[in-house]
Amino acid sequence: MSIKLKALLKSPWVFHFSTGSCNNCDIEILDCLTPRFDIERFGMLLVGSIKHADVLLITGSGNRKSMERLKRLYKQIPKPCLVVAVGECALSRGMFIHSYNCPVPIDKVIPVDVYIPGCPPKPEAIIAGVVKLIEKVKKGTAKK
Amino acid sequence: MTREEVLCDLRKKFKDDVIEVVDKSPKRVYIEIKQESLVKVVSYIFKDLKARFNTASGVDMRNHMEILYHFLIEDINLLISLRVKLQKPKLEIDSLVPVFEGANWIEREIYEMLGVNFRGHPNLRKLLLPEEWPGGVCPLRKNYKEWDENAIRDRGV
Repeated sequence: MSIKLKALLKSPWVFHFSTGSCNNCDIEILDCLTPRFDIERFGMLLVGSIKHADVLLITGSGNRKSMERLKRLYKQIPKPCLVVAVGECALSRGMFIHSYNCPVPIDKVIPVDVYIPGCPPKPEAIIAGVVKLIEKVKKGTAKK
Repeated sequence: MTREEVLCDLRKKFKDDVIEVVDKSPKRVYIEIKQESLVKVVSYIFKDLKARFNTASGVDMRNHMEILYHFLIEDINLLISLRVKLQKPKLEIDSLVPVFEGANWIEREIYEMLGVNFRGHPNLRKLLLPEEWPGGVCPLRKNYKEWDENAIRDRGV
């Protein structure tokens, strides 16, 4: 494991990008930050700028316009980075799979490291997914 | 003005413009009007009856295109839906932007989704769809077909 990844795992800062979701996944993500679940005990923090982030967290099915923004964000995030897709829409577009405005799933546009299914996933599921990702990176079996 | 007075007034004033009045429920009434008298009726409802413009909606009914303009008179809690039927293939109607600015974006949306042309709209361009969307393809029409060859429509399992 590179020194950069090791440093990243101590406190993965998260940039939250909603590609036009119904906001239920976003509410569950904000739930993770409340004292009840307190994801900050793993050093995770939501940041306002992609240039401060280590983790790109994506919700929503990804439409033609937001995919262009997503590509631009992925170019700007400091590497190595981790990409987390939260919710059924971000995984396979859910019920919007035949929509005229959602032509491709997100993992065909940028590489995704961990998929968290659910509509919306519970905060426990999100925490479990992120912890699994950290374990994966520590073992060195992650893509990056 | 009570509900009955408003309806009576509309029937009397626009005798030649109103085709049909459907009294749906105590809170809701549908008024079908002629295409060319839209601006006249809307100006009266908006300016004289002091109604609030909720939104407009469009439906593709296979043989004709239907546009509904929804107005709410808050004092008497009455929702008036003005129904205009446009015969295909000539889909053109007067824009309401000169009467009130709030019609601007919804007309742009109906234009891109259903392909209805609004005469006199100051800036009739796309609202939600991307710029590279092909011209003349309207996603909410009944005869819409997939045009993007790169689209993936299976779940990959």
